[in-house]
Amino acid sequence: MQQHVKPPREFDAIEMEVYSNRFMSITDEMGLSLVRSSFSTNIKERKDCSVGLFDGRGRLIVQASHIPVHLGSLQGGVAAVLENYKLEDIRPGDAFICNDPYLAGGSHTPDISILTPVFYDGRLCFFAANLGHHSDVGGGVPGSCDPSQTSIFAEGLRIPVLKIAREGVLDEQIVKLISTNSRDPLERILDLKVQIATNEIGQRKLVALADQFGIATVEKAIDDLIAYSESRLRKRISDLPDGIYRGEAFIDGDGVGYEPCRIEVAIKVEGDGITFDFTGTDPQARGAVNIPKTALDATCYYTIKALLDPALPPNEGMALPVTIVAEEGTLVRPKFPAAVGIRSTSCQRVVRAIFQAFADVLPREKVFASSADMNATMIFFGPHKTREGSFVYLETVGGGAGASLDHDGMSGIQVHITNTSNLPAEALEIEYPLMVRRYALATGSGGEGQTTGGMGIVREVVAMTDGVRANASCEGLRTPADGVFGGGQGEVARLKFANADGTVKEYDISITNILMNRGDSLFLQTPGGGGFGRAS
Amino acid sequence: MGNIRVGIDVGGTFTDFTVLDDETGDMRHFKVSSTPHDPSEAIETGIAGFAERGLQASDVIHFGHGTTVATNMVIERRGGKTGLLTTEGFRDVLEIGRQTRPDLFDMSVRKPDPLVVRPLRLEVAERLGPAGEIIVPLDEAGVEAAAERFKQEGVEAVAIGFLHSYRNPAHERRAGEIISKRLPGVFISLSSDVLPEFREYERISTTVMNAYLMPRMDGYLDRFMTRSRKAGIEAKPYTIHSNGGLMSTETARNYPVRTCLSGPAAGVVGASLVGKAASFPDIITYDVGGTSTDVALIANGKPAYSTDRDVAGYSIRCPMVDVNVIGAGGGSIAWLDDAGGLKVGPQSAAAVPGPAAYGKGGTDATISDANIVLQRLNPVALLDGAMPVDREAALKAVGAVAEKIGRSVEDTAWGIIRIAVANMARAIRAVSMDKGHDLTPFALMAFGGAGPLHSSLVAAETGLNTVIIPESPGTMCARGVLLSDVTRDFVSTQIKRVQGESWLDIRSALEGLEVQAREWLEAETIPDEKRALQHIAEARYAGQNHEIRVEGILSTPEDFAARFAEAHRVVYGYALNDHPVEIVNLRIQAIGHAGRPLQTVPGVAGTIKDAIVGEREVYIDPQTGWLTVPVYKRASMPQAERFSGPAIIEELTSTTYVLPGQSGVVDAYGNIILSFVKDRA
Repeated sequence: MQQHVKPPREFDAIEMEVYSNRFMSITDEMGLSLVRSSFSTNIKERKDCSVGLFDGRGRLIVQASHIPVHLGSLQGGVAAVLENYKLEDIRPGDAFICNDPYLAGGSHTPDISILTPVFYDGRLCFFAANLGHHSDVGGGVPGSCDPSQTSIFAEGLRIPVLKIAREGVLDEQIVKLISTNSRDPLERILDLKVQIATNEIGQRKLVALADQFGIATVEKAIDDLIAYSESRLRKRISDLPDGIYRGEAFIDGDGVGYEPCRIEVAIKVEGDGITFDFTGTDPQARGAVNIPKTALDATCYYTIKALLDPALPPNEGMALPVTIVAEEGTLVRPKFPAAVGIRSTSCQRVVRAIFQAFADVLPREKVFASSADMNATMIFFGPHKTREGSFVYLETVGGGAGASLDHDGMSGIQVHITNTSNLPAEALEIEYPLMVRRYALATGSGGEGQTTGGMGIVREVVAMTDGVRANASCEGLRTPADGVFGGGQGEVARLKFANADGTVKEYDISITNILMNRGDSLFLQTPGGGGFGRAS
Repeated sequence: MGNIRVGIDVGGTFTDFTVLDDETGDMRHFKVSSTPHDPSEAIETGIAGFAERGLQASDVIHFGHGTTVATNMVIERRGGKTGLLTTEGFRDVLEIGRQTRPDLFDMSVRKPDPLVVRPLRLEVAERLGPAGEIIVPLDEAGVEAAAERFKQEGVEAVAIGFLHSYRNPAHERRAGEIISKRLPGVFISLSSDVLPEFREYERISTTVMNAYLMPRMDGYLDRFMTRSRKAGIEAKPYTIHSNGGLMSTETARNYPVRTCLSGPAAGVVGASLVGKAASFPDIITYDVGGTSTDVALIANGKPAYSTDRDVAGYSIRCPMVDVNVIGAGGGSIAWLDDAGGLKVGPQSAAAVPGPAAYGKGGTDATISDANIVLQRLNPVALLDGAMPVDREAALKAVGAVAEKIGRSVEDTAWGIIRIAVANMARAIRAVSMDKGHDLTPFALMAFGGAGPLHSSLVAAETGLNTVIIPESPGTMCARGVLLSDVTRDFVSTQIKRVQGESWLDIRSALEGLEVQAREWLEAETIPDEKRALQHIAEARYAGQNHEIRVEGILSTPEDFAARFAEAHRVVYGYALNDHPVEIVNLRIQAIGHAGRPLQTVPGVAGTIKDAIVGEREVYIDPQTGWLTVPVYKRASMPQAERFSGPAIIEELTSTTYVLPGQSGVVDAYGNIILSFVKDRA
């Protein structure tokens, strides 16, 4: 006789929904403020940031959906505060900062979290939290992330959990230390201040909520919300037939060499619980494609929402029916001090493996072919055009989504764990000494099938001055997106560097720190999505 | 000599008329059924009905209308066959957009198909740099070839959008000339005319939608003009555009994309004027219809504007009153998900089958049914007795939900309304936060059929003290049309530092816009004494990518920087000293005052007690239970006499629910003003 987890507690169907809106209202306001007041293109234009609320025990109450992979880091950051500080050392007006994947629940160094304890009646009741992707935190390459890095120490400044504000007073020295370690210090200073202010909005609103309705009522509503999400997810899992479902996916290489790395997952559905077991996944990579724990957690939660219940309220209850198993020393649970900067590439392939495993168990209309799940990145670095100093400009490029029963895959779109916007060519050309020569869909790049995979994107960027440096990385230069039920594979990615004189070099591995002089151009074509069903 | 002003709002179900006699100040409202196949038909029917109300169509001196023709055309994909001509290398910008997917988790939620299919998105060799400098000259033979292709495909409209054309429209204009010569009769829309601002996707997407709307809008406006003239109206007709101003029929023909939010914008403009007259300059509007609720913010008498918006999933950018739509209205259905959570909407019973209690076939529990169960809405009949209500059916529908959550029918009905209110309150907070306002000084102005029924609950949830129910809340949008000015925005992207030398460039660009604005006012035949120019600069700190709107004359760089810092503080809560400020867009709004200031209305004789037409049991909340509550007839309520909640106020098209702890009064403009009585401290 199998013993399942005991059923979640009862919840109040009305209060739960009312408070769900009240909490989301607070994260809405925090998110709006963070995006609109921030300075860096990365947060303000590409919305590479997230906000969340936690209770005093570190349980997630609500996360504003900006970037799924961030979910784990906010949670990891709050947990790190509670582990590293005694309760009596956490004071009203404090704010904590961290980014480190090994010490503070981070998922790569550019993602800096700010966690603000919120007190009510002298008691620690909540945390307001947000995270922003800072375009550079130092390290070996501009942007701080590059597949070829082999140690966390090459990925810029490591921040364990520290107090950046004490009882309302900002620690300018820490701000200075962080900004000094960045290639664009001004952006760091301004964005960090905005992040701190964002949590203060959350704090004020939480206190106002408790003032208006009573802290006991608010805390009961949190229990209700968590119980609701747990119960709803358990129901979804129970609807699946029990069994073990397997999937695998490959990444092009380990970041340094050409040997593909394999991700293996066995999904065990048992009653109303589910286990993601990554045993059998390749050992940790030499390069920066390893996945820290919180990034793996966030990736698994993403697939659960995407495949089982997209509207499931994201709170602690979502994690309770889920067990994640990963062996230490593997790609999905690297040992210190492995590099992790490009973890989202591998996270995308974890999603691919899980989607593939679920194709056997989900109804046909819910199955998707593989997408261009590759986090293609182009980073340019050089002297500023409009102000003193140098710029770092990072762009992630979308690709083709996988086809489904009724529809061709969407073209030129971000999939799965990321959903960052592009920077308009006109905005880029006004700001930086670069020119976009082409930004288009790659004709014919989607996999064939009854329905066709979405098309990848072609983006070609020309240097308008000498001395620009660039990195370009794109997963899927060698491993295409697979079709499903007999559908064809999408086209693989292509990466080229063209000299002003017309000589072209094609790459099948990431480009790091290449020098671009006036007229040189970088060409990236992202992969197409897989097709669905055999083409007739 | 004529003296009648007419405002019309064409809605999905009804076309509302507000008619004002300029001499007597007498204002009347009436409705006719809408005619979606040709909305101008209902307008003609309405005007034909003037005679029986003792009005003469020939006396009309001012005639404006709000319309959803453009929005519906996009939703139903009924626009003209459209081609796009763009810079080589960029034809897919329209499809890629900002490369984000519409739903983070649900891959089955798709972006809508672009309004121009890929084979009709043609490229031509040409390229400008960010300063408007020519890098690659326009390939005129390539434009000819594209025109030929459009001809073969039989397109009805062509959008032209080249990179950096907002700085230099020469290439777009030349391409437009070539195409119009080759394709006479085809509508042409240039991005440098429609939206001369940077950010290519938003500019091209807006231009494409404009082109897509032009052929059918042209036909509609022809019919509208013919029918209104036939009905005897000589006055020049105006259309409300999304920024709440009126524009001539000619402008509406050239820029139909600017009418996408026509009706709701008029409501907000009307609300701002009603609020100003009644000494409430800071207002949140709350317009609840059958399937959705519109919310907008008015600060210091001015509606908040936004420039970016989706219409049916398509990004458009143009100055518009920032109306936020929530998918919850009177017809929204309450349902239980399989995990036992109670949800309200977004599915709606709409007009058909409608709420269970309305007897048109509906069986699901809606927000209206919950209000009937609690007897906040008249449990016997609505519309002055013209529409019978079946409370038993409402009890049955809500009872089915109650059984599933194990609560009483009253508790469940109360819970359904609470959930809808929490959802609406969330939208109201987001609207104020987005504009950087603290809600405390704001009053909530409720209109639309179901606004006044929930407004006090929403005010309590959001911490607002005052609720305003304007006269005839069901026809606020038509009234707004009557009160609006003739306006048009002229814009120029000038990314320039706010400092000595570049300030001269800014000044000269502004003078260029002023010339355009004056020419337009001339063309609209606005008399001199009614003209005004409003200066607006959209600015940011250097390095930012979001702009803030700063209104007022640009005198000196120092003065502007100080006013920008203050605006930044309002919106974001902080300002940066000594950080350079840059202007991104300069805008001039040309205004021709057409509206007429709001007049006080004569009060009704009698006491407030005389206005009580009955009483009924109303369910308040689980702690209080049922109370016997007086029912007032709005038309009989005298001005300036205070009354207390709980109370119900009924009028033809709306019902107001006044909470215990609130008191109210009718003001000199006929508004009901409700406020919470302060805690006895």
